This record gives sequence, structure tokens and C-alpha cells, in this order.
Amino acid sequence: MMDLSPLYDAIAKLVPLDCMKYEFAPRAMVALVLLAPMCAAMGVQVVNFRMAFFSDAISHSAFTGVAIGLILGTSQHLTMVALAVLIGLGIAGVSRRTSLSTDTVIGVFFSAAVAFGLAVVSRDRSVARDVQRYLLGDILTISDAEVVALGTLFVALMAFQAFGYNRLLYTGLNASLASAHRIRVRGYQYVFAAILSLVVIFSVWSVGVLLVTALLIVPAAAARNFANSAGGMFWWAVGVGLASAVAGLLISLQPWADTAAGATVVLVACALFAISAVVSFFRRQRG
Amino acid sequence: MTDPQAKPAIEFENVSVTMGGVRILEGATAEVPKGSTTALIGPNGAGKTTLLMTILGQIPFEGTVRLSDGPSGAAPRIGYVPQRLDFDRGTPITVMEAMLMGLQRRPLWLGMSKQYRDEAHAVLAEVQADRLANRRLGVLSGGELQRVLLALAVQQKPDILLLDEPASGVDVAGGDLLCELLEALHDRHHFTQVMVNHDMSNVLAHASHVICLNRRVIACGPVASTLSDEVLARTFGIHLGLVDVSTCRINPHEPPVRPSGGKEAR
Repeated sequence: MMDLSPLYDAIAKLVPLDCMKYEFAPRAMVALVLLAPMCAAMGVQVVNFRMAFFSDAISHSAFTGVAIGLILGTSQHLTMVALAVLIGLGIAGVSRRTSLSTDTVIGVFFSAAVAFGLAVVSRDRSVARDVQRYLLGDILTISDAEVVALGTLFVALMAFQAFGYNRLLYTGLNASLASAHRIRVRGYQYVFAAILSLVVIFSVWSVGVLLVTALLIVPAAAARNFANSAGGMFWWAVGVGLASAVAGLLISLQPWADTAAGATVVLVACALFAISAVVSFFRRQRG
Repeated sequence: MTDPQAKPAIEFENVSVTMGGVRILEGATAEVPKGSTTALIGPNGAGKTTLLMTILGQIPFEGTVRLSDGPSGAAPRIGYVPQRLDFDRGTPITVMEAMLMGLQRRPLWLGMSKQYRDEAHAVLAEVQADRLANRRLGVLSGGELQRVLLALAVQQKPDILLLDEPASGVDVAGGDLLCELLEALHDRHHFTQVMVNHDMSNVLAHASHVICLNRRVIACGPVASTLSDEVLARTFGIHLGLVDVSTCRINPHEPPVRPSGGKEAR
């Protein structure tokens, strides 16, 4: 396993606060600094595609992932990731082949995923503790292996964003028009669904099922208010995501706050969104 | 300009479409001559947009839709202007970014290439929309947005340009400007143009060929020889009585049409 301690030492020196003395804090910082921009970047398209409900369905599939892991006696993380990608691609595939609205298709997958997980949990009370862990998430207990996995996903996701951002923008604007103009809409939709599923399930480990969608949506929503262009929206979303992650983690580690890291990150993002809404309001007033 | 000897740009052969158990198109057989401006006319629900969608391959259908190859022997390039763009008007995207998102591979968050910007400016100028380049797409009027959509389609360097009622939701002046622009673009780029159109005066003024649809192809052929009172009555279900086809203006760029040139489907 790669030794990440020099990286953590460097971060502890860069942020000279008491709370960074413990190794879990710089590790959590690295994880959040990787995760927040990923969520923010994908959030731009989630907002454009109006897919907030999709990420909810994927995050809730974590329960079923844990349950299947227990049944099969394999790593829960492995089954969570596999199931999330499977459900993401399933939603994308069924949405394309049915006349039902995407919301309805997601609703069906969402219900099945949650119901199966709860059914297994209800049979075995000891599983409930695991499930609760994913409900709230805990970035402070993230392992080095998970940080490496996040780093790998970060590289893959940014490569996809660099390659496909413009085409995804076209598809989000109007899929039918994009398809007529030779954009491979179907391919982009499937790859996007798979990568978004991975980002969502990684986020579940860190901020919990309840807050994943916030991590995706809130920075992108703030970016819509701040930005004047599609290129600008990307940077605003990444900036808001990063600022929320760093500020949220540091605040949560202060003795006077002592709050859950994930929840504090989302609260900071929401505060930035409120500022963006005021900026947008005054901009509109000026015409 | 149409060439009567050339292979048609588009051939529909026995095309049928059923959606949700409802037969929308029934055995449509028609041709779109290469280089023509062909209007698809018919009442609401006649299957005009559906026929357009079969060309784009975006809906399942029975039968055959044959597109003749482009000049390079490859599949023809298609430009498409939808009836209206269903998009989130709050999305912060400029007209120039919209023009570049299908051209430039480098992500827009790493800037816009000068070469592509110049190309996009030239196309926007062709549709009198170059002054809109830095405006947000969501704040454009209906007419301005249609011109930008036309620019997006022309940017494809299309062999076939498909338009689905491009002037609907646009004021009269905007609609007239759009028609003039289309005529100028057609003369300059020589593409085959297929346009769903409700406005008969517009069809008579600008189209060289017509396909009359009412779930089936009622008739197709050159405008002057095809649009008889009887065909209009069969297409629209009543005697239209509003259009005097004997006074219709034929596209001056088209060769004279024979009185019996139209094919009437029985």
C-alpha cells in the first residue's frame, strides 16, 4: 500500500491548527479535497440534466449493497460499488427504453433498492449498526486505501470531464438536438451514469446517504447563481465545493463546534448558496 | 437547385410509425429531391414531425428511409432546427459557448479556441446573430433563439437541413426574417431543406416541393402541380378555400413545373 504519511505531514504543516495534529484530520482533509470537487463537477451536469433524484436512488442503494455483502460474505464496499454502478446503468438503460418519465423509473429502482436493504436488515439486527454508519457517514474514519481509491477516481473523473464536458453540456441542453448533430448521446449518458454512481457511493462512505445529494447539488446551484457562462459555472462549482470542504472540516474539528464533518461541510455550502442567491438577486435588479 | 435526374436526397418507402398503440403514420411513401426546399404540410396530428424524426432515426419505425450519400460518399450530414428548444433558461451558457460545445473538444472551462470562435462568428453572422454571441441563451427572444438554432444547424455544414416549424412562437417580422435567411442560406450552401410548415402562404412563397400528409401521404411533388383544391381538401379534411393555388408564387430558382408533375396517392 502506498505510504501517504508525507502528504498528511505536509497538509498538517500547511494548516497550522491544533486540530490537524491528529493523523485522521489531514487524511480526512485529503479525502474531502478530492471528493468535493468531484461532486461539484458532476453536480454541474446533475443540475443541467435535472438528475438530483438519481443520486438519491444510488446513495440509498448503499443499504442493499451492505446487505448483499453480508449475504455473500464478501467486502461490503465491493458490493456497494458494484450495485451502485449496476443500478446507475439500469436506470439509464430503462429510461431510454420506456415511455415512463425518468423520475418514475428512478423511483422504482429507488424503492426496490431501499426495500431490499431494509428487508435484510430487519432479519438481522446486527446489520443495523453497519447501515447506520452509512446513513450518517464518517469522513474521520476513512482509511488510506479509500483515499487511494478516491485519488484514482478523481483522475478518471477529471479526464472524463475534460473529454466530455462540452458534449455533456450539449446533451443536457437538448438531447434530441445533440443526437441529430452527431453527439453520441447514448454513450455519454451511460458513462456519466456509471461515474456518477461511483462518486455517489464513495461520498456515502464520507458524508452519509442523507447528505450525498447536497454535496452534488448545492455547489452547482450556487455556481449557477455566481457564473455568467458554462465554463465559469464549472470553476464556481469546484471552488464552492472546495471551500465548503476545507472550511466545513476545520469548523467541525473545533472544540466549540464539535459537529459531524459531513453535515458541517454541507452547511457551509448552503451558506455559500445563500450568498450566491443574494448576488444573483442584485445582479437581476441591475438588469 | 433541384436536379430532376439526381437520386432523391431522401426516399420514404412504406414508412409506418405506431406509438403507444396509436398509428401515427401509415405506409408513407414519398421522395425529397436533392437540393429542393420541401415542405411537409398537414393538419395537427398528421405525422409531420414524426416523419422528420424518422429521418433523424430518433423513433422506431417500420419501412425504409433512405438518405443518399453526401458529396464525399459518406453518410449525409444533417442539421436540425427543432420547433422550440426545451431547455432550462436559467443555465448560464452564452450563445458563443452553445456554438462551440459541439465543435471544440477542449472543455469550455479551459477557454474557447480562437479558430472555432472565428468560425462560429461567421456562421452567426450568416443568420444575423453575431451581435448575440456574448448574450446568455436563456435571455434571447423567440426569434433570436430560432436564429441561433439555425446557426447551430448550419454549423454542421449539412447536406440535409431539417426544420420543424421554425417560425412557430416567433412574431411575424421574425418569421419573415427567418424565411429570408433560409432562402439565402439555401442559395449559398445548396443543401436539401425539409421543413414542417403550417403557414400555407409561406409554403407557396418558399417551397419548391411539398409532401401533403394526413397520417398517409396524400400527395407529393412540385408545389404548383401538387397543391390542388382536391389535395388540400383531402389533406386538411375540409375544403381549405383560403388559398388560391393558381396564383401561388413558385420559387424562382426552380425549373418550370409541368402541370401534371405531382404524384397523388390514392
